[in-house]
Amino acid sequence: MENNLNPGAPELQPELTPSANPVEQAAPAPFTSRTDLSHLGRHADAIRQELGKVIVGQQALAELLLTAILADGHVLLEGVPGVAKTLTAKLLARTLEVPFSRLQFTPDLMPSDVLGTSVFRPNKAEFEFRAGPIFASIVLIDEINRAPAKTQSALFEVMEERQVTQDGTRYTVPEPFMVLATQNPIEQEGTYRLPEAQLDRFLFKLNVGYPTVEEEIAILQGHHAGFGGTPLEAVRAVLTAADLKGLREQVRRQHVEPKLLEYIARVVGQTRAHKGLYLGASPRASLALLNGAKALAALRGRDFVTPEDIQYLAAPVLRHRIQLTPEREMEGHTADDIVKQILQQIEVPR
Amino acid sequence: MLLVLLALAVVPATAQRPRNAATTYPLPPDRTTRVTLRQPTPERLRGFRQQREFQYVEVKSEQSSWDLFWARFWHWLSELLETRPGKLMWEYGIYAGLVVALVFVVLKLLQIDFTRAFGRSPRPAALAYDVQAEDIHGLDFDALLTAAETEGNYRLAVRLGYLHVLKQLADRSLIRWQPDKTNHDYLFELPAGPLPEAFRELTRQFDYVWYGEHDDLTPAHYAQARATRLAFQQLLSTGRRAA
Repeated sequence: MENNLNPGAPELQPELTPSANPVEQAAPAPFTSRTDLSHLGRHADAIRQELGKVIVGQQALAELLLTAILADGHVLLEGVPGVAKTLTAKLLARTLEVPFSRLQFTPDLMPSDVLGTSVFRPNKAEFEFRAGPIFASIVLIDEINRAPAKTQSALFEVMEERQVTQDGTRYTVPEPFMVLATQNPIEQEGTYRLPEAQLDRFLFKLNVGYPTVEEEIAILQGHHAGFGGTPLEAVRAVLTAADLKGLREQVRRQHVEPKLLEYIARVVGQTRAHKGLYLGASPRASLALLNGAKALAALRGRDFVTPEDIQYLAAPVLRHRIQLTPEREMEGHTADDIVKQILQQIEVPR
Repeated sequence: MLLVLLALAVVPATAQRPRNAATTYPLPPDRTTRVTLRQPTPERLRGFRQQREFQYVEVKSEQSSWDLFWARFWHWLSELLETRPGKLMWEYGIYAGLVVALVFVVLKLLQIDFTRAFGRSPRPAALAYDVQAEDIHGLDFDALLTAAETEGNYRLAVRLGYLHVLKQLADRSLIRWQPDKTNHDYLFELPAGPLPEAFRELTRQFDYVWYGEHDDLTPAHYAQARATRLAFQQLLSTGRRAA
């Protein structure tokens, strides 16, 4: 075969010469996943379909929520009131056949209202622990930043260690365990800034934006036609706890090239050296980026991670873990701007 | 008695006249005595001048040679423009500047890269990172590909082939090569036509081989990847000729 494109290259060896007709090639195509991800894909499609019964648009949000579920992480949803944060979280919880509880955070909420408390049983003459609403698989915390730091600190242990220690006794929360929290932007009236230690425990912070004009028209049409839209009862559970456990195990086994591990470390490490930041991301952020990228790759039908996965998740993983210097904030920069700058400074392994 | 005493005590007060009430007259000016002006010593005058309170005029600092140069230049220019040819040049110079600005705006609006008109490629933006590791323009792809194929390192050969394609795309200005970009970024940069779809398949194969740890490629598998690459390169050169 004449090599017109590489004049200096030698002729191909006979066994390397491709057949004129690809169909005649006996060898199977190597460019497919080695792990069968069809089971995971079917479940993901089913969840998307259930969410689509009520939620118009927000495909990217749904994909990131699924990613968080598969990566075994907590999610913080931020957006102005009325953009379906709570509705999305409720619907997602409904698609999973697991215990669900909801907490409305208020300024006077106490840690014991979340975790539970020991009550005295006179007939037994002993204290008995009464579990709080945190003991569920999917915990929806609505408007999490309306409670002060004292109540927030009650979540530190359970979000990271999946356990509650009360009166010297350890109580384990059910598996799977996921906190879906919503919050209004910090500038809104009557809100508190969440402690950094708690923010670090969220895998993703997802910004829920306004729908497009077309999406808003579809919302109006659906509401008008159905006199209130599709009822929540139409959404059914499509994933059991056992299924989810299996899918998470599959995600855990995803392949990641060593160069990509180095890429993650460099991206996160750069947040600690950036002049525009006075608080960089922790090693927990590196782990979050790795686990998230593995889950996203699986959702996209691959059994390996690519740099695109890492870049796509960099902002959701890092935006709530970094803090800008006052100068940068006054200049109008956001955490997403800094993450973008960092990604532009680091070479993609190829 | 008391009244009498009081009456005697009330004596009318009268102004006392000066004892010598003679009239005085001014003396005539003395024109004989010489008046001598007392001049302060130079040292004292210098002392006064150095005091801030006596410095009524702000003294300008001396101009530097650079300032003098510009002052003379502007003086020369103003004199030149005062002449008839200078006035003509000034008038037509304004028109020429307006025309150049108009052409620049039109070219920018049409997104035409006019820097190539002077036989030089545009200078790439300064990068804040080391590009040595991924400097595709510094690699001898033919030699490296041959070596990888000869050694049976097909995974490396797929990678080198893909980088070679990226280099060719960058050379043809179809993509803007930057090490921080991902393969999909380049995919979105390609112009509409048959190239994006072919490049998508090429990228998919590269991703599976390079990031998916497919290091057990058989010669038949590599031949398939190579065929995809050659087909893309053929498409690229055909498109170039057609253009």
